Amino acid sequence: MAVLCLFGVLALGLAACGEEDEGGGGSSGGKAQGTELTIYSSLPLQGTSKEQSEAVIDGEMLALQQAGNKIGKYTIKYVSLDDSTAQNPGTADEAQTADNARKAVQDPTTIFYLGEFNSGGTKVSLPILNKAGIPQISPSNTAVGLTTDEPGADPGEPDKYYPAGTRTYARIVPKDTIQGAALATTMQEDGCKTVHIFNDKTTYGAGLGRNVENSAKELGLEVTGNDGTDRNAPNYRSLAEGIKADCFVGSGVTGENYIQVFKDVAAANPDIKLYGPDGVAEAAFTDPKEGGIPADVGARTKVTVATLSPEEFEKQGIEEAESFFSAFEEEYGIAKPDPYAIYGYETMKLALDTLKAVGDKANDRKAVVDQLINNTKGRKSVLGTYDIDENGDTTLTDYGLYTIDGGELTFDKVIKAKG
Amino acid sequence: MWDFISKYGLIALLVAFPLTYAIIDVAGGEGLSRIGNNLVAGLSNGAIWALIALGYTLVYGIIELINFAHGEVFMIGSFTAFALYSVLGLTLVTGPLGLVLGLLVVLVLSMLVSGSLNVMIERVAYRPLRGAPKLAPLITAVGVSFILQNVGILWFGSSQKGIPDLIRAQQELFNIGGVEVSRADVLAVVVTIPLVYLLTAFVNRSRLGKAMRATAQDPEAARLMGINVDTTISVTFLLGGLLAGAAGLIYALYQTNVWYFQGFTAGLIAFTAAVMGGIGNLRGAVLGGLIIGIIQQISDNRIGNEWTPAVVFAYLVLIMVFRPQGLIGEETREAG
Repeated sequence: MAVLCLFGVLALGLAACGEEDEGGGGSSGGKAQGTELTIYSSLPLQGTSKEQSEAVIDGEMLALQQAGNKIGKYTIKYVSLDDSTAQNPGTADEAQTADNARKAVQDPTTIFYLGEFNSGGTKVSLPILNKAGIPQISPSNTAVGLTTDEPGADPGEPDKYYPAGTRTYARIVPKDTIQGAALATTMQEDGCKTVHIFNDKTTYGAGLGRNVENSAKELGLEVTGNDGTDRNAPNYRSLAEGIKADCFVGSGVTGENYIQVFKDVAAANPDIKLYGPDGVAEAAFTDPKEGGIPADVGARTKVTVATLSPEEFEKQGIEEAESFFSAFEEEYGIAKPDPYAIYGYETMKLALDTLKAVGDKANDRKAVVDQLINNTKGRKSVLGTYDIDENGDTTLTDYGLYTIDGGELTFDKVIKAKG
Repeated sequence: MWDFISKYGLIALLVAFPLTYAIIDVAGGEGLSRIGNNLVAGLSNGAIWALIALGYTLVYGIIELINFAHGEVFMIGSFTAFALYSVLGLTLVTGPLGLVLGLLVVLVLSMLVSGSLNVMIERVAYRPLRGAPKLAPLITAVGVSFILQNVGILWFGSSQKGIPDLIRAQQELFNIGGVEVSRADVLAVVVTIPLVYLLTAFVNRSRLGKAMRATAQDPEAARLMGINVDTTISVTFLLGGLLAGAAGLIYALYQTNVWYFQGFTAGLIAFTAAVMGGIGNLRGAVLGGLIIGIIQQISDNRIGNEWTPAVVFAYLVLIMVFRPQGLIGEETREAG
């Protein structure tokens, strides 16, 4: 076959071997080779999301370390990849992300792919990995269209991400229909009557913007606009001057120039209440010393993140979370880690527990995918007890509401989303 | 007939955009304050583009090179200004006198850094290619642009960086009939007007300015008349760099945000402004910058920020169709 393929390459060009090559170490749903299995992590390690990504990696490595880098007879190797580039920092660069996914596909020992951090990146890596039958878990993706065709999804989603016709992708954060409802619920509770939304036009930002819009309308709030923003615009002053609302949602990520967006909206509308999603829940956005929004703008801003404070986990009696925070402090000396550390931990823990559950078949991608998507039920985790549904979505729905105090995210309360 | 359309059609085209919205505002009972605010923001933004556009137009006028690295020279100016904030101890609590003096020092140093950088680029990357096919220096310019972007990444990282709002840029300074004029608006215009005046006076009245104009018309004839063409070209790059440095500081104060990629975006806008005004023409570059600034702000406010680049370039295409030589013609060797 290899010889035929070589002739094919010489005679017809690289496309002749495309499908076999993407299958790499094994065709769709095949077996990983040897007793060493590799788990790839793909996250943006440059730019504004660097700190969050590093927190995810710390969490992932802690879980792997606790397992002694072994599951049954298999040794687990961890490979961390960067899906951002210097020219496209803070988010997944499409070409780099595709390279990362292909690298995992071409490695015959690959058994899991953990990523991407950004939904726009997963749009690129998911079809490549799905075709090769490699199970994928994201610690942070929230875009609706990755798993369902519910409101907020684009036409053709999610089927276009699953060329193999089966689901191979799961995520442990609630999708944006939940975050959109959480933001709308918060605004309603804060007395907002009218809402204006800016979205960064990415898969994540535009999708979440639509979800906020739908939820806000359901709750009786008037949505005065949902405008896309150009990342390269020098400023958004005139756009911000057009806002006629008492509340504003910046549905975007820090790396899409959302520090400038929040500064300009706050300056043009001195009384407006500001809300941001998990895409801006990072020091690069919240801390003026890191080049984030000024303190006076931070004081007017609330942020939703799908994670709770250590105290809240304790209050809810989630012992696994308490253990995680103790172990994290012991390992890294940080008592209150970045909100995404616990998601990194749970991503890896879910992957390892899935491998453990299939026993000797831990090298069988098909068996692993089946276990992950169809048999993750009533899972007691650091995030609470949840299922992975048939679409790959978590059944968790709690969102944490954070204020910004002294440049840091400060947990305020749990939001039980309505709508 | 075509001349008539070219001349008056263009004026109608340019005026139509704000006029339409002014009529809509008045009819809707909003008065003229909204369009007034759009124009003020447009003029102040446009002033920054004008300063950068002058650098493009100066260089093109004299050696017919599109200096793609010019946007990055402007970016380095912004970075230098930001770095000097901490060197000079300029913070949010610095008093007015200290701030004014400090910013004057920052202005001079940023201009010198950008000016020197531009001269160095010319000496190292463009001068050896003076007799080469035109594509060679063009590609070299793109290369220098990428090198400087990476210098920017090494210096302040690859993310947008919010910087201290030293002048409270968006604080209202005065208000005329509902039209708000902020500190940033005044700063942009107050710095730009004297610089443009000085540049124009230098080019029109000084010996070196005459040498620049002579070199722009015919470098060989200028050389035969005893003009040191190499020095003249270096001075041209120095002037463009000085203006880019000034624009860098104004941008940092105005936007309170710096980014390694800001030069690419600003460079594209400023180059468009230079082409729109008539590349090679100083007044044209300023006019183009101001027009683009106004179009951007009206589009941002009325149509949507995501459509603004398309609106600006639609205008450029229309202007090129009406007047291929730009708004004020092209005072270069080719145009005579």
